[in-house]
Amino acid sequence: MSMRISVWPSMLSGLATLTLLALAHCIAQAQPAPPAVPSPAASPAPAAPPAWQQGRSADQVSSSLHPFAPIVTGRPASELPLDKLKVPPGFKVEVWTDGVPEARSLALGDKGTLFVSNRLQSNVYAVLDRGGKREVKTVLKGLQSPNGIVFDKGTLYVAERHRIVRYDGIEDRLDNPPDSVVIVDGLDPTQQPGHFWKYLALGPDGKLYFNIGSPQNITMPTYMQAAIMRVDPKSGVVEDYARGVRMTVGFDWHPRTKQLWFAEHGRDWMSDDMPSDKLNVVKQRGEHFGFPYCHQGDTLDPEFGKNRSCSEFTPPVLKLGAHVAPLGMRFYAGNMFPAEYRNNMFIAQHGSWNRSTKQGYNVVRVVIDDKGKARSEPFLEGFLTDPKADPPMWGRPVDVLVMKDGSLLVSDDYNGVVYRVSYNKN
Amino acid sequence: MLHSAAAVIAPVVALVLAVGGRAAFAANADAGHEKAQVCVACHGPQGNSTNPAVPSLAGQPHQFIVTALFLFREGNRKDPQMTPIAANLSNADLNDLATYFSAQKSVPPKPMVDPERASAGKRLSEKYYCVQCHGPALLGQQHIPRLAGQQAEYLRTQLRGFKSSTRFDMDGVMTSAAQPLSDADIEVLAEYLSGLR
Repeated sequence: MSMRISVWPSMLSGLATLTLLALAHCIAQAQPAPPAVPSPAASPAPAAPPAWQQGRSADQVSSSLHPFAPIVTGRPASELPLDKLKVPPGFKVEVWTDGVPEARSLALGDKGTLFVSNRLQSNVYAVLDRGGKREVKTVLKGLQSPNGIVFDKGTLYVAERHRIVRYDGIEDRLDNPPDSVVIVDGLDPTQQPGHFWKYLALGPDGKLYFNIGSPQNITMPTYMQAAIMRVDPKSGVVEDYARGVRMTVGFDWHPRTKQLWFAEHGRDWMSDDMPSDKLNVVKQRGEHFGFPYCHQGDTLDPEFGKNRSCSEFTPPVLKLGAHVAPLGMRFYAGNMFPAEYRNNMFIAQHGSWNRSTKQGYNVVRVVIDDKGKARSEPFLEGFLTDPKADPPMWGRPVDVLVMKDGSLLVSDDYNGVVYRVSYNKN
Repeated sequence: MLHSAAAVIAPVVALVLAVGGRAAFAANADAGHEKAQVCVACHGPQGNSTNPAVPSLAGQPHQFIVTALFLFREGNRKDPQMTPIAANLSNADLNDLATYFSAQKSVPPKPMVDPERASAGKRLSEKYYCVQCHGPALLGQQHIPRLAGQQAEYLRTQLRGFKSSTRFDMDGVMTSAAQPLSDADIEVLAEYLSGLR
C-alpha cells in the first residue's frame, strides 16, 4: 500500500488530458437523473436512530459523544508522537510496521507471515519480515468486514460478517491466493446494523469460536445474537457456547485450565461510569452472562432488568472500567518477558467514546492469583492525550499477539500501524 | 521609509514561518491547491459545484474527504467518473486534496424558496436523525460529510443508493437510516439540505 505511485509528479504533462477527461465526465453527469423509483406499497421501516445511539434517554439526545472512525489511509510512523508511549521499566515499544490500513486482528502464519484484518474495510493483509524490513501485501480483497482471522496448520480462517471461510495453503501463495472454501454461511440473517463484525479464535477442541454481537446498544437479541458460538471446521456444525454476551471481540483459553476467557463490552448511554466493561470466564458451556438483563454482574438494566435478578447470570471475574472497549485479549505464554508475566493476560482497550472524560486507549496486563482473583494494571499507554478533546487520542490498540520470540505485537486501526513490545533484562 | 522597512521585514517573516514549522502545512495546502485543478473541472471553483449531480467539496471535513477518496481508490465505492481518477492517488495526494478543499468556503446553491417545504425539511432532518451524526447545523464532523449546501441531485442519488443497499457503506449506519425514507421524504430532504448555509 505504501508503494502506491502518485500521478502528480507528472501532472504538468498529464494535466490537460485529465482536465479534458474530467470535463467530458462532467458533461456526461449533467444529464437528467432517472425518475425516482416508486416506493413499494408496504409501510416502510420506522425511523430509528443509528445502532450506536439506540437506548439514549431523553436528556442525552443532544449529547455530542460519538464513536471515532479510523484514518482509513493510515499514517506513516514518522508522523506519530511515538515518544508519548510508555511501557514498564525494562520493556521497549517500537513500530513494527506501518502502512497496514485499518489494522485489526492479528494472526501468525507457520512460516512467519503476519496476517492483519480489516473491520470497516474489506481486505486482509500479509506482512512479511524481510531481514528486519517489513513488506505489506494485500492478500484478500472485497470481503465483508473480515475482522476475525485465525491461522492453523497452513490454513487461514476468516470470519466475515455473514460467514466463515478457509484459505488452504495461503502462506505459499500470497500473490495468488487460493479460492475460499465456505465452512458456515448465514451468520447474519438480519443484516444487523450494529456489532456485525466477528472475532475468531481456535479452541483447544479444534473448533472455531466466534461472536455474534447485540445488533444495537441495548435490545432483546434474537436466538442467534449476543452469543459466543463455535463451529467444527470439518463438519460445519454450529453450536451455542455462551449466551447473554453483548459484544466480545477478544477471547483466549487459559494455557493451564483450558477455560475460555473473554472481554465483553457493556452497554452505552447509562452513565459515564456505568456499567463497567467485563472480563469473564466460561466454566461450562451454556452459561448466560446477563445481557440485556443484568450489567457488570450486579446492576439490572432499567428496562430489560425489570422482574429479573442478577443472581440468574454469571458475574464477571473483573470489571475493566466503563466504556473502555476491551478488544484483543491473549494469555502470555512466551519466554521473553519476566517470569511473573507467564499466563498473565494482555487486553487491548480501544475506547472509550461514550464518556464525557475519556479513559482507556491502552493495553492492560491482567494478573490472576491462586484464588482466581484478577487485577489489572496499565502495560502500554500514552495514546490518550486529552481526555476532553474530540478526538481524545492519537492511536487505538485493537489486537495483541505473542510472537515466537516472546515479544508482543499490538495493532492500531486508527493509524494502520503494528507496534512491538519487547523486554531486555539488562 | 515604510517601503524599505516592509522589504526588510517580509523575508524575515517568511523565514520565521518556515523555521516555526508552518512550512510543511503551507506546502500541503499549496500542493493540494495545485492537485485540485483536476477536481475543480467537475466539482467547481474551490470545490463549489455548479452541477446538481456533482457534490461540492468546499468546507467538507478533512477526514471525510480522505475517506471518500480512499473508498474510491480501493474500489469499495464505485463511480464511473471517480474510480479512474482516484485509482492512482497516493496517500499524500488524498491528504493534500483534503487539506485544500476542507479549507475552502462553502458557497451553497440557491436556497429553497417555499418556507413550508423548508420547515418540512427541517422536521425530517430531525425525525430521521440526520442531525445526530451530521451535527445540529449539518456541517459534518470528522469522517461524516457536511450536508448543508450540498447539491440536491447528488444527495438524492446517495440516499436512493443507501436505501437500495447499492451504495457502499463503511459501517451500515446510512443504509439503516435510509430504509424508512419515502421518495417524497428524499425530495424534501435533498432540497432542504441543499439550501442550508
